[in-house]
Amino acid sequence: MTLVRKLRRDQDIRGIIPFLSILPIFGLASLFYGIRAGFIAIGIWSLLFLLVYLYVFVRTRNFAHLVICADAAFLGAVFLVFSPQFGAGSFPEIEFKAVYAAGILFFGILIFALVITRRLKWRGREILELAGEPVDEIGNGYTSRPRPVGKMDYTLEQIHGFARFAARNLIALPYITSKNITLVPIKMGEEYFRLLGLSGDYRDATWVNFDEDGEVSVHIAQKDYLEYREPLAFDQLCVSLGQVFIGFFELYKKGEGARFIDRMDDLRIPIFS
Amino acid sequence: MDFRTAAKYASLLSKDYAEDIFALLVNYQAISASEAAARLNLHIKTAQDFLESLAQLGILSKEEVFEKKRPYYHYALRQTRIVIDIDLMQIKREPTLNSLSLKIREKQNNEARFAVARNDDTITSVTIWSGEGRERQERKIKLTAPQGKFLYYLPFPKTTPLSVADIIQKAGIDESLAPEILDLVQLLEKYDVIEQAPEMRD
Repeated sequence: MTLVRKLRRDQDIRGIIPFLSILPIFGLASLFYGIRAGFIAIGIWSLLFLLVYLYVFVRTRNFAHLVICADAAFLGAVFLVFSPQFGAGSFPEIEFKAVYAAGILFFGILIFALVITRRLKWRGREILELAGEPVDEIGNGYTSRPRPVGKMDYTLEQIHGFARFAARNLIALPYITSKNITLVPIKMGEEYFRLLGLSGDYRDATWVNFDEDGEVSVHIAQKDYLEYREPLAFDQLCVSLGQVFIGFFELYKKGEGARFIDRMDDLRIPIFS
Repeated sequence: MDFRTAAKYASLLSKDYAEDIFALLVNYQAISASEAAARLNLHIKTAQDFLESLAQLGILSKEEVFEKKRPYYHYALRQTRIVIDIDLMQIKREPTLNSLSLKIREKQNNEARFAVARNDDTITSVTIWSGEGRERQERKIKLTAPQGKFLYYLPFPKTTPLSVADIIQKAGIDESLAPEILDLVQLLEKYDVIEQAPEMRD
């Protein structure tokens, strides 16, 4: 069966820039200060990544990110602790290579498995695809205003638990205020900017808000709306996005949140998209 | 007294020389503009305009005097008290059945930006841009809590419009606050942010 996508093909390459940046950093450091400095640069870069991913873990409690933290810590340790001796004759080069190769192999396989099983995938694109699925009417009507989509019965504990579940599974990033819990779905490649606060106010992003009285409202950012191939009827799209989260919450309440994740997996959206 | 007349009174009374001219008018039986100007060291045109404005408001009477020179006017007080009494309720926009049944929705491509409150389901302000190039202007409208709530529930562009009364009810706004809602509707309609349902237009 062929899946009919409502979203355009993802051509955002911002997500790979932080990873690829190590190559020019390593190259430039090696060129100007020698190969040792290049390795030290990799070590520092790894420790910076460790901090970033530690923050992602603290914010989401997604354990797959701890593996990246461990990998970054390993690389940092290898290159910063051992590299001063590396190539200088005082440290046996073969041992360094063995540690390095074993570590790279171990973490490489582990991270590959996590990527393949989508445990490191931010699900913003799946959410937008699910929201667009039932909307067939074309009509635009975009507005930057939020749309109230209904009232639900939940306790604050339930909605907090739901927000934690959504964050742990990288479905949406929660922002909690005294009266609201706002869930912001994040697409792959946007996570660094959003988490590090470089994407501006989260109220300008796409979000679903649950307030203390049970009111659910939705906002779709224009940037995300333009991701759809066709100008879908905006009002219906907002309602549909609200319904996606309401349905997701109902499943979570029954202890079947994993089914929602299955639904997203069934969309077969590319891993880095 | 209507607001505009009261404003004219207030404008005249606020002049620096108003009290001095009134002092002359009270103490003299009648006075001409040139006499008042010479006495208070004002320009004759200033005194003339002031006295003429008071006469137009009915505070002074004026009588044309013919002497050897060209004719001029003598001004005398007609009343010794000035009372500014404005019933502010006369400028209250009472919601009519017609205004509340107006079906409205947001207008497509309105170039407005809505700021949403962080802690509540309400809109705090609307920023509207108008004009092109160097003429482009920004106007920010801060909303009251009921207005923000109303705007939160305003139907989206290209959707079925709702009457003002229905939106007020949906947003849970007290009906007594309808005048400020209607004021916002009027303002946003002026800036092309909202539109009336086609079938409701005249």
